Amino acid sequence: MEKLQLFFQTAPVDATQAGHALWLIIALPLLGALISGVAGKVIGRANVHLVTIGAVFGSFLLSLLVFWSVNDFRASAPSPFGGIGYAVGADFGTWFQAGTFRVNFGLVVDHLSGVMLLVITGVGFLIHLYSAEYMSHDKGYWRFFAYLNLFIAAMLTLVLADSLPLLFVGWEGVGMCSYLLIGFWYDDPQKAYAGRKAFITNRIGDFGFLVASFLMVLMVESIVGLPADKLNRAGITGEQVSSRYGSAVAEKGPLAFSVLEETAKALPNLLDEKIVTGPLTGLTYELALTIIMLCFLLGAAGKSAQIPLYVWLPDAMAGPTPVSALIHAATMVTSGIYLFTRVSYLVVLSPVAMITIALIGATTALVAALIAFTQKGIKKILAYSTVSQLGLMFLGIGVGAFWAAFLHVVTHAFFKACLFLAAGSVMHGNADEEDVTKLGGLRKEMPVTWATFLVSTMAITGIVPLSGFFSKDAILHAAHTQHIAGYHGLQTLAWVMGTLTAACTAFYMMRAYFLTFEGERSKDAKTPHAHESAPLMTGPLVVLAVLAVVALVHGLPIMHMQRGGETVTQTLMENFLDPVLRTTNDLVAQKQFLELPHEHESMVGPWIQAWIIAIVSGALAFFIYRRFLPRGGSLQFLEPLRKFSFNKFYVDEVYDALIIKPITVLSRILHKVVDAVLIDSVAVHGTAWLTARTGAVLRYLQTGDAQMYAAVMALAASSGVVWAIFKVLP
Amino acid sequence: MNSIFDSRILNLVIFFPLMVAGLVALLPKDEKGQIRAVTLAGMIGSFLTTVWAWGRFEVRSPVEFQLEYRMQWLSDVGISYHVGVDGLAVALVLLTGVLGPMVVLSSWTFVQERVKEFHIALLVLQTATFGAFCAIDTLLFFMFFEAVLIPMYLLIGVWGSEERQKAAMKFFLYTMVGSVLMLLALFAVYFLAAPAGARSFDYSTIYNGLMGASRELGAYLKANPGGDGAGLTPVALSLFRYGPYLFLAFAVAFAIKVPMFPLHTWLPDAHVQAPVAGSMVLAGVMLKLGTYGFWRFAVPFFPIAARQYQTLFATLAVIGIVYGALMSLAQRDIKKLIAYSSVSHLGYCMLGIFAFTAEGATGSAYQMLNHGVSTGALFLLFGMLYERRHARLMSDYGGIAKVMPVYAAFFLVVTFSSIAVPGTNGFVGEFLVLLGTFKSNLPMGFGVLATTAVILGAAYMLWMVQKVFFGQVTHQENLGLKDLGRREFVAALPFIVLILVMGLRPQPFLDVLNTSTERYIARAKYASGEGANDDAKVRVNVRQLPRVAVADAAVPAPAPTFRPVVSPDMVRPARPFQLQPLQPNLQQVRP
Repeated sequence: MEKLQLFFQTAPVDATQAGHALWLIIALPLLGALISGVAGKVIGRANVHLVTIGAVFGSFLLSLLVFWSVNDFRASAPSPFGGIGYAVGADFGTWFQAGTFRVNFGLVVDHLSGVMLLVITGVGFLIHLYSAEYMSHDKGYWRFFAYLNLFIAAMLTLVLADSLPLLFVGWEGVGMCSYLLIGFWYDDPQKAYAGRKAFITNRIGDFGFLVASFLMVLMVESIVGLPADKLNRAGITGEQVSSRYGSAVAEKGPLAFSVLEETAKALPNLLDEKIVTGPLTGLTYELALTIIMLCFLLGAAGKSAQIPLYVWLPDAMAGPTPVSALIHAATMVTSGIYLFTRVSYLVVLSPVAMITIALIGATTALVAALIAFTQKGIKKILAYSTVSQLGLMFLGIGVGAFWAAFLHVVTHAFFKACLFLAAGSVMHGNADEEDVTKLGGLRKEMPVTWATFLVSTMAITGIVPLSGFFSKDAILHAAHTQHIAGYHGLQTLAWVMGTLTAACTAFYMMRAYFLTFEGERSKDAKTPHAHESAPLMTGPLVVLAVLAVVALVHGLPIMHMQRGGETVTQTLMENFLDPVLRTTNDLVAQKQFLELPHEHESMVGPWIQAWIIAIVSGALAFFIYRRFLPRGGSLQFLEPLRKFSFNKFYVDEVYDALIIKPITVLSRILHKVVDAVLIDSVAVHGTAWLTARTGAVLRYLQTGDAQMYAAVMALAASSGVVWAIFKVLP
Repeated sequence: MNSIFDSRILNLVIFFPLMVAGLVALLPKDEKGQIRAVTLAGMIGSFLTTVWAWGRFEVRSPVEFQLEYRMQWLSDVGISYHVGVDGLAVALVLLTGVLGPMVVLSSWTFVQERVKEFHIALLVLQTATFGAFCAIDTLLFFMFFEAVLIPMYLLIGVWGSEERQKAAMKFFLYTMVGSVLMLLALFAVYFLAAPAGARSFDYSTIYNGLMGASRELGAYLKANPGGDGAGLTPVALSLFRYGPYLFLAFAVAFAIKVPMFPLHTWLPDAHVQAPVAGSMVLAGVMLKLGTYGFWRFAVPFFPIAARQYQTLFATLAVIGIVYGALMSLAQRDIKKLIAYSSVSHLGYCMLGIFAFTAEGATGSAYQMLNHGVSTGALFLLFGMLYERRHARLMSDYGGIAKVMPVYAAFFLVVTFSSIAVPGTNGFVGEFLVLLGTFKSNLPMGFGVLATTAVILGAAYMLWMVQKVFFGQVTHQENLGLKDLGRREFVAALPFIVLILVMGLRPQPFLDVLNTSTERYIARAKYASGEGANDDAKVRVNVRQLPRVAVADAAVPAPAPTFRPVVSPDMVRPARPFQLQPLQPNLQQVRP
């Protein structure tokens, strides 16, 4: 056992070397995208598959290697504040620099991004394989694979970046690829519209992200300008902090994560103080930080489909199913959670931001689950389920259970990707039928799809001992036991909503499962018999289903740590992320904004609770949809409610009326009134008209008519005389 | 290392297109192919000269205006032929050079009438534009600035679409109004900046002269806020009284050119009516004359007035950004949409200039280049479509991606550049401008409002893309459209390369621009009372005017009351006239 541990902890590559090779992980899929995009039509389908799938596989192998070196106890990424333990990284020079601002091409992998790397390239590889078969009839295959590879490259940039602006490259890059892929079948205006909607909604989030970044720069620079004695910390003098901090800002730029982490370390003593330099003067650091975090929340809400910006994700299902699995379930939509875990040390310093994140997450989770109750399209159900699960992850972030949220990211990536791919397989075998009420009885006809779908459904439902249980339960457990200082009531509300969501999840997932796979084949089915998909499609399904089960290992409390003289038991994931979250944990201990439970409760209680919730809800779904409504539909007295939920609570319509329409109308009015009439007609043409009129009037002064001149002269002279006479006369 | 050519490169840059124009004038007018080929070759040659100039520009050099050349010309009225480039100018010269060949390629088949005149106009336009960016003498600048108008007027008025005459007239009159104001202001500063005899239209004379007055005024205003100017020296008093008006005169002239809200209404008309080449040059280069003017003249000459009106201009810039974007949302005409998007993008440039922060100014300068590339590319690409269909409304298209896939791919890349997706050039400029705005003394709302255009920009551009490229082909006549030909491909590809290169490796460009930024910021903040006035940094040092015999008699000693801000040896060189390319052109200046 020790030998095995040693084996995993001794990487075959040197940390520095691994760091310098990081760009290759991004470059491979980028190259694949380039080749496929430019020459895809010429080199043919098989070569495109070879190049693009090979590129992702190459990235996957490299990621494995890097992951291995990250686990090396000797690994240490260079950072202006000394090495970062358990990380590899390299700086590839300046991206741009102006004034005192700079951004470098710095890449870094630690335990957090390492896991993401494996998920992105691993699941990405499986989905590429699946797509080769799924898209086998599509003429735009080269475009599809080019976009898909481009997406992988962008997503890898997002997680490898060591600064916010570089992260933003990936952040917008994935949004752009998502736009291209949702609108992949662009000749359908509906689909093109869905792509556009996704991009613009994401842009609203990006607006928040940008503003947050700018404010962050201001805050960092205000700290750089502080006198040294304000920066005193335990074990290190203010002068040291100040000089190292200043040089790090100059060397890596104010938005590098290493600088942000250092900022967070400096903040606890400053939170109540007012900022004295720069444009933020007058705000307290706490308020500034809260504003920044809320702006980041807007950004994350856009990307990760949270209220109020979740509306694009369900529409995004217009894209090909592998895209839904990869982008809109496993990777891109989790980048909000990734972002917050990355800057967790800042999140925990602002209780207001935390409770807001938690409430937004919990509300989104519940609302999306309620909408998912009544949807008919299998992909729509899964989409709302994704929104709902992302909400749970946000709940986890909000209550400070970063590892739990991140574990849910990983397990969700497996089972939700599996669910989507299985749904794709169902559609593939049923002439693209999406409506669950027109499917049914597929269990026999598509056994592999059925089995994998069932496993994943149980995983998402949270049945012990599948992976979904551990991650979801960890979040709910944290929401119940870790308290954000000052917001107990609201947090309890969030926890209740989270628990309700868990119950709802079991219900709607079981509904989808029963309607699709059990019972009789629907009479409205497009084909009389479904066919099981080819091995290239079922293979990835099986792998993902297996992963959805074995990922549970991460959630087992098997690690025993010595901390402060006592033995603490941690789950594998918590322990694994410890190097990443160390600053965060220190800050939590220091500031007490988050009250942690002192004793770890037994896990048996929650297990039983989860079982009960899952079984009761699942059984309810079974009774309703197997006994009473085998064809779907609804109970009579619930019909208005069903309609309300089926129409997604009319949120789209409300947004349309409140935001889109007014802006369109405003722009038309401005164009018609201000631009055309006020400026152009009145001001510009008015000036021209006035000039012309003046000219026309003045023209009479110089007619060249001597008689006229004489007449005017005579008239003037005589009036002069008359005036003189009147003046002289008394 | 200096070479004998260094002081001549700019002459070559400026007049090479004019020489080619002369050559084209000699060609028979029916030989359209020949004319096009010669012009193209000339433009490529001209582009190479700009690359040469760019290559000879030294980032680390302490000299502001490099590759300087100065000779006697109209010296009786204080004018000299004086050219030289700083970081911003050399970058804009390069941009102009890059666009040249593309402009010719874009009109290869589009223009069939008066081919010879068309190409001569293009070449003359090129010379005028180069001249305006390189001129250090203000009146020389003014002449080139005006000279740009004539070929552009002809391009719109002769080779434009249906209502070309009206649009050309509107364009001409609008700009002329500004020019008159600027000319008046130029005369005023000519008389203001130096005592009789030492007067000159040279940038250095005017700037250095006004600098002393600004310093005095700055100190005075700090000591007596709201004072009536009693006790100021005459020059400072004049600056106190008339400085704001002079600043506004310059500012209005350049604001029309930019164009800033609410002086923008000529732009959509001009763009819609102009031929592709006209639109490309107009958007790509000509609008930058306005922003360049603010950067070079309006703000540095009158730092106190500029700061006084900072909020006004920043407000107009933000209005321009948001308003331009909203206008774009309301358009049906694609060219109009692109034109209004220019108003929005130029708003960023203006906001960066008026943020008075290093990030903002560099971002603004970079945004000028970006806008030239991406909007130039948009007009080029749309021109190709227009040539095929002769329709400008979005509803005339739809589903074009199916029939012209390569074209659609190019257009999409340019679109992403236009909406500033990171990785493309647009992002770097926009990010820096916004960051600079947040860091500036302007209220936070300016930055936040300007950032909303990130959303609106995506909304109108992608809306247009969807209407034109996606969906089913709705018009029969669109079914037969041919994808890009070889010539068109060659014309469009450099833009795509530039978009990516400038997005991923912006630093070489920014290094050059940063040299100008530092001085611009120092000049804009000059005499503000914040920190010490760094005279050595802001003072303009240029090559001496080569000596002529007449000059000796003409220069009397400065009046005793006048502070000798212009040292006599700047006007009257000690050395006799000689070719001095090997001399470093830094002057020892007594403070």
